Amino acid sequence: MSAPPAAAARRAKVLPTLILALGGVYALLPLLWVIFAATKSPDELFTTFSGRPSFTGGFGQNVAALHDFGDGRFWLWMLNSLIYAGGGALLTVVVSAAAGYALAKYHFAGRRLIFGALLAGVLVPQITLAIPQYLLLSQIGLVGSYWSVILPSMISPYSVYLCRIYAGAAVPDEILEAGRVDGSGEFRLLWSVAAPIMAPGLVTVFLLQFIGIWNNFLLPYIMLADDDRFPLTVGLYSLLNRGASQPALYSLVITGSLLSIIPIVALFLFLQRYWRLDLVAGGLKG
Amino acid sequence: MRRRTFLGASAATLLLSACGGNGAGEEGGGQAASASPIGGDENAPTTLVFWSWAENIQRVVDLWNDKNPTQKVQLSGQAAGDELVAKFLTAVKAGNAPDVLQAEYQSLPTLITNNALQDLSSVVGPVKSAFPQGTWDLTSFGGATYAIPADVGPMMLFYRADIFEKMGLSVPKTWEEFGALAETVRAKDDKRYLTTFSPGDAGWLAGFAQQAGANWWTNDGGSWQVAIDDPATRKMLGFWGGLVNSGAVLGDPMYTPQWNSQMNDGTIIAWPSAVWGAGVLAGVAPSGKGKWRMAPLPQWSAGEQFTGFWGGSSTAVSATSTKKAQAAKFARWLSADPEALKLLIEIGLYPAALQGQSQLDVAPEYMADQPDYYTSAAAIAKTARGFSSWGPNTNVTYGAFEDLMPKAVRGRSDFAAVAAQVQQASVADLKKQGYQVAGG
Amino acid sequence: MTTADDTTPSRPARRGGAAPYLMTGPVVLLFAVFILVPIGYAVWLSLHAMRVRGAGLGIRTEVFTGLENYLSAIQDSALHEATQRMLGYGLIMVPTTMGLALLFALLLDAPRVGGKRASRITIFLPYAVPGVIATLLWGFIYLPAVSPVTATLRAAGLPAPDFFGDVSIFFSVANIAVWGSVGFNMVVLYTQLRAIPGELYDAARIDGCAEWQIALRIKIPLLRPALVMTSVFTLIGMLQVFSEPATLRPMTNTITQDWVPLMRIYQQAFVDNDIHLAAASSVLLAGVTVLLSLAALAAFRLRVARSGR
Repeated sequence: MSAPPAAAARRAKVLPTLILALGGVYALLPLLWVIFAATKSPDELFTTFSGRPSFTGGFGQNVAALHDFGDGRFWLWMLNSLIYAGGGALLTVVVSAAAGYALAKYHFAGRRLIFGALLAGVLVPQITLAIPQYLLLSQIGLVGSYWSVILPSMISPYSVYLCRIYAGAAVPDEILEAGRVDGSGEFRLLWSVAAPIMAPGLVTVFLLQFIGIWNNFLLPYIMLADDDRFPLTVGLYSLLNRGASQPALYSLVITGSLLSIIPIVALFLFLQRYWRLDLVAGGLKG
Repeated sequence: MRRRTFLGASAATLLLSACGGNGAGEEGGGQAASASPIGGDENAPTTLVFWSWAENIQRVVDLWNDKNPTQKVQLSGQAAGDELVAKFLTAVKAGNAPDVLQAEYQSLPTLITNNALQDLSSVVGPVKSAFPQGTWDLTSFGGATYAIPADVGPMMLFYRADIFEKMGLSVPKTWEEFGALAETVRAKDDKRYLTTFSPGDAGWLAGFAQQAGANWWTNDGGSWQVAIDDPATRKMLGFWGGLVNSGAVLGDPMYTPQWNSQMNDGTIIAWPSAVWGAGVLAGVAPSGKGKWRMAPLPQWSAGEQFTGFWGGSSTAVSATSTKKAQAAKFARWLSADPEALKLLIEIGLYPAALQGQSQLDVAPEYMADQPDYYTSAAAIAKTARGFSSWGPNTNVTYGAFEDLMPKAVRGRSDFAAVAAQVQQASVADLKKQGYQVAGG
Repeated sequence: MTTADDTTPSRPARRGGAAPYLMTGPVVLLFAVFILVPIGYAVWLSLHAMRVRGAGLGIRTEVFTGLENYLSAIQDSALHEATQRMLGYGLIMVPTTMGLALLFALLLDAPRVGGKRASRITIFLPYAVPGVIATLLWGFIYLPAVSPVTATLRAAGLPAPDFFGDVSIFFSVANIAVWGSVGFNMVVLYTQLRAIPGELYDAARIDGCAEWQIALRIKIPLLRPALVMTSVFTLIGMLQVFSEPATLRPMTNTITQDWVPLMRIYQQAFVDNDIHLAAASSVLLAGVTVLLSLAALAAFRLRVARSGR
């Protein structure tokens, strides 16, 4: 059969496009709401129709109030979140890349055991681990420090799993062998040969882990007592918690939520082109 | 935020009979002879860590730091909630608990039985007389004092005076009148409700039960008696059940965005709350300024004068602190120093100390139309009665209420029956933990 | 979880001496310290309990109680009900998430569909929103007095739905999870689709197959490994559902403190302060998760084996 008639082609276009667009609207609906709500001053928040923004300067007022809250504590929380998520994700990538590469490229005793145990680790709920982790870290005197959030976040079985798949698929054995013939050591091969090839996959691992740590609540909540160390999730939660009897704080939480989404959206859009999410699916072709 | 309280109105039980005092320990500042009494120089330079969730408490801490340059207090703002007790207990276990802790009264038994609080009996002598005996009993167990009362919440009824007037309603004196009024409101204007019954607030229910004369826990000679399923509690729950199930009042939770909106726009026109309610209203219902008024809670029998307690907290010192003497000094100051009390009032807390209560003469700005607000409040506070003791597993009892009451509201079932279920759950848990329970 | 073992293109051949041990060292160490030891500690906790000594309030001491906590956890009717609710929620959440993700992925991969790039980004966006904040946003949309949906419907004279009803609550909670996870799964499936060589479809098109037939007969079977993987992770997400109902709870009577298993465990640990019972319950939950995941993967392998791959 030859190419379909033009009319059919046009018709085929409308329905799928519409469905996709509906999906986009569904995804944007609550985000629109938060944008509208952030434009409302505390007095307007519960008294004006919430499906429409206000243009009474409420947004500037809210951002200013947020800025003033606890002497700029909100920005401190955001900085903390960046430290936890950025630092944690970077370190995760380093240790996971090395481990994933080793698991994919060497045949050594205990390989299957390590890999199997790591994967089983995905299945244990975080709530089970949080309190023992707290007691453990306080033994070493790290509770309340940045490390108390970063160290437990660094072990991500999922990241190791992704790195292993990616190293197995993307790094050809021939290149490694050639390097060995040239007299390169194993670590040099990992650092200067395998790592650059794995880079797109590592960006994916970094992003997933960044989002994971950025959104994590329970671990920092348990580990941190000092609100100067809180990440955004815990900080906004504590605001919300106090906001029940002080609705003015709701406006802060809403504006804070909006502002807290922005960095992660920006990061995602920026790194979009490097995404190789296909390796999540368990196979890589080509 | 759930505010909870209790007030041990009578110290008749064995457990509470010998309160506080200076007899057991040596003077503050002396050397520690044993592990329990506090030793060390309370004026020695130090830095104390203080966990609190009170809004703007930083101002009070700043004042202390100005006056005590060598004894700095470092505030660590916390999210209030059930998790805070677990977080504190874990921190004690791990050895990095704060020195000073803001604690809700009913969480003290849990903290004490987990060995997390310091016995302050030997250092509270100077401030004991600043509090009514009933308030002081809140923090004393088995003859030892474990915390210093900071704020309390005697319950009162708030109502929209302007709407009451417009609709020709009068302030109910008894719960019977309150029930009839709820139906009148529905009949006159189907957009409005007299109030909402928030089933998930066990502390609020406990306050109503106290007013009705319930005494949920007593301890006689070592064994506990649990009386949650008593006539007073059943009467109170049955009353609310009737109103909610007939649709005369709402059954929605308080402290939600929806509740805020309804309190602000006049959908809800009365709120049984506590003395601090004026501060909450100011935030929740800005457009109701000068329109809300406060009256005593309706009574179960005409001519009676009783109320219960909802909310309030105390200041405690952790068992693992290495600066207990200084910590206790700060705790005393926070709850009883005139200047500290003045600031506590300014940040919206109703002080537990008598002197603090008498400092309150100007009504809150929000209640400007009721100039005698605090005079009335003080008079009502005197009629407050609480449980004679808080149970060692109050958290479990509250948890059971907060699970079962919402189910009863949704199922429109018999509210009074919940009392029996909670009683059963509480007793079973006490027994499981190894407590002696008398009767059943 | 070991399917990947057999599908990895290149097989490890070298022993490498100490190098692989040094490379896996940090991960193994971190794993031991932050996962194995805590699991061991949780198991230890689950075999102990606090018991009271002395009269009055008494003092709690930790004693060995053997399997008592496990017995309590297995007989805990609240945990049973929570499990049933979790399954009810999962029955909505898992198929909807996977169905929508697959639908969107196929549409993105289909020819002659407009606005692909914008749709892909917007549908993925919710994944970047923390669960607690997402729930807060939806909560505001659900609450009748502040909901723009309710206000709009009322203004149009239509009856507004009750988002917190006995049945609708399952949809309301599931919706939040679906909203947050469709985009991620969609991108995974879509990227996998892109990896399928286009020539495979040409023959079908020449035979006169419509696009939907190509999707059904060629693309979906080829997507199976990715579908299984994402489904298993969605299933694990279902078993560990917590933050959505927990954040929604203060807004409604319909969600209790023990609404799903993890909330029940959280209640045991943080409300009842019984960390020992909580440990036993969570060891049980983790065990069930492992079994279910293994069963799902085994079933998949069996089907693969039958179809002669």
